[in-house]
Amino acid sequence: MADDGSAANRRDPIKSSVGNVAGQRRRQQAVTVAKERRESLVRAKRLCRVGANGDDDDEDPHVENEMLIDEDQPVLEAQTSKAVEELKSAVLYQGKGGMQKRVVALRELRRLLSKSEFPPIEAALSAGAVPLLVQCLSFGSPDEQLLESAWCLTNIAAGKPEETKALLPALPLLIAHLGEKSSAPVAEQCSWAVGNVAGEGEDLRNVLLSQGALPPLARMIFPDKGSTVRTAAWALSNLIKGPESKAAAQLVKVDGIVDAILRHLKKTDEEIATEIAWIVVYLSALSDIATSMLLKGGILQLLVERLASSDSLQLLIPVLRSLGNFLSVDPKAMLTILIGGKNTEESVIGVLAKCLRSEHRVLKKEAAWVLSNIASGSIEHKRMIHSTEAVPLLIGLLSTSPFDIRKEVAYVLGNLCVECAEGDTKPRIIQEHLISIVCGGSLPGFINLVRSPDIEAARLGLQFIELVLRGMPNGEGPKLVEGEDGIDAMERFQFHENEELRVMANSLVDKYFGEDYGIDE
Amino acid sequence: MAMEMTVDFPYWNPLRRRFPPDSPFFASGNVERELLAKQVALDLTEDEINNLQIIVETESRRISCPIVGCPERLNSLDSFEDHYKARHTASCSVCSRVYPTSRLLSIHISEAHDSFFQAKVARGYDMYECLVEGCGLKFKNYKARHRHLVDKHKFPTTFEFFKRTQLSKKRREKLQRQHVSKLKHEEDKEEGSSDAMEVEDKASVDGLVSALSTLTTSDTTPSNVSFGRRHGRGLTFVPRSVHRGKPTKSSSTPEPMT
Repeated sequence: MADDGSAANRRDPIKSSVGNVAGQRRRQQAVTVAKERRESLVRAKRLCRVGANGDDDDEDPHVENEMLIDEDQPVLEAQTSKAVEELKSAVLYQGKGGMQKRVVALRELRRLLSKSEFPPIEAALSAGAVPLLVQCLSFGSPDEQLLESAWCLTNIAAGKPEETKALLPALPLLIAHLGEKSSAPVAEQCSWAVGNVAGEGEDLRNVLLSQGALPPLARMIFPDKGSTVRTAAWALSNLIKGPESKAAAQLVKVDGIVDAILRHLKKTDEEIATEIAWIVVYLSALSDIATSMLLKGGILQLLVERLASSDSLQLLIPVLRSLGNFLSVDPKAMLTILIGGKNTEESVIGVLAKCLRSEHRVLKKEAAWVLSNIASGSIEHKRMIHSTEAVPLLIGLLSTSPFDIRKEVAYVLGNLCVECAEGDTKPRIIQEHLISIVCGGSLPGFINLVRSPDIEAARLGLQFIELVLRGMPNGEGPKLVEGEDGIDAMERFQFHENEELRVMANSLVDKYFGEDYGIDE
Repeated sequence: MAMEMTVDFPYWNPLRRRFPPDSPFFASGNVERELLAKQVALDLTEDEINNLQIIVETESRRISCPIVGCPERLNSLDSFEDHYKARHTASCSVCSRVYPTSRLLSIHISEAHDSFFQAKVARGYDMYECLVEGCGLKFKNYKARHRHLVDKHKFPTTFEFFKRTQLSKKRREKLQRQHVSKLKHEEDKEEGSSDAMEVEDKASVDGLVSALSTLTTSDTTPSNVSFGRRHGRGLTFVPRSVHRGKPTKSSSTPEPMT
């Protein structure tokens, strides 16, 4: 590029006119710090549409937000309509100083739209804000104008579904300003607006995709850091979340995207990593190509490291979910954690155990799910889990935790005791594991599941009881089951409406607690 | 005790369980994420702004952008680089329009300022590219491409990428003249080409001939002009672009793009 030579020339004049280098750096730092502080303050104010309350604003903090809105909303709406009118005349104005007029009008509208978590969107839309904002996005407009306009559109798009849809005419321009020549704040604000639109629903996601939103958005996550990367990654995760897989498939084709994802997962701060992790969640769930590329790039190790080192629930959830997706989808991934060396094995189980120990419900439940999939693998996989602290943890959870966690835990423990069936043969019991798990005190928990109204859980309980009855040595099974009121639990199904469960329970009772039972005593 | 089960019991068989991303299984983990599906960009309070101003006020020295005719003033090297990237690396030197990507700039240049482009159009080639990256389709005229954008890519029907901007004709010509006087070109030629900013089908042979004739170098260069000397510094900053009918010997302006 001809600019390269001239770039060197142009830097020199700038440096000397600003003064010595140290002073320069101090000033730059001040600007950076100011920008970061602004960003963290803005982010602290990012609120969701549902259930948000209690945020500081510049009004009396004792007044409920709701009440505030009721009183002031009509005023706000009137001001908004007026601001849109002002913008209209500023846009029509052709003379000198037009640019300034437009920026002033935009700024006023933006302020009105950014005061609270319930902006006067409807008022703005009825006054005809969108076509004006679209005009203000035209190419060659000054950055400030672009920024303010995109900001207004962002907040309009954060509203109700029909309000988000009102942004349709603006989409091509918003997408265009994601380009590499746009200034960073403008590109970021446009990506924020696009992210809001994508977050609305699948129809709008499809429109964005067909207008070519994905490639420029994807390229915005290539730099190593910055709020732009974070916002763009969030928007991108909204764009590919599916449930259709075509966006994910398109993303993986972007040159360099897999490298960027791996790089961020490895090194970046937790906030960016969180958004990237959600991208990985969707890629691993929706695209086989992405799954194998990421695995080849060593993503499992990166996920394990993040799970081990982070305490941020926001980050742990998508990272754990990604791990689960990889292990549930790709048999090669299972092999990787098996042969990946002792460190990897222990680390995978180790971090999953860490999640089991967490106080967060979601982490416990999904970690158990991941373990259940590992436990459904080869004997080596089962041994891997069985030899660790995970088993006592699981047995403990089986007695004490909420229902949905107990169900997942049941899957793990049961899977550990049985080899996968080959063809039509009865799955073989791994007696060593069954014994230790039963003796560890898991039977009451399973029998409890039999009593639950959830069909799937009851089924699991009955299946495990069958294992105990069949597999415990020396015919101890029936006695153990009886000892924990298992017969009673099963007999409840005698006249149960669900035929499958009825038949299962009855056949167990008939076989193991039939007329001959107890006669040898 | 040895009674066989009459029906096949569904024995426990370890199976991998997989769930799609929108499965209810993930609902509780998704709750917080769903709340972040849309985010409002809130403004700062008065206090916050005041606090920031104290910090930012220490940084007040500003420099003017050195590009000829650009009024922007920047306060740091970073913002200068941002500004330069945004305003001076993707602007059309013929009509001063700025585009956010190189691709759009080059499409604009082909369609608005390139006679070879128009010549091919006149011969019936599909020259108008679809604006969506990756699509690759081309069309015979502006309207057909517009139709494609609306039908295939769901662009709004009122959409116009290459419309006239807010710059009034007077302003544009003034900018052109400033440009011209610095580069020492004949004013007439500049005003002539500034009128051609609107995208039109120059399908007529006459138009073609006259357009082609302006490419010859013989009658456009005054014999006593030298390029790149007095205004060398200014020229160093001018980006690569198409200069139709402007033969130059300056090092920074290359051959016209085809």
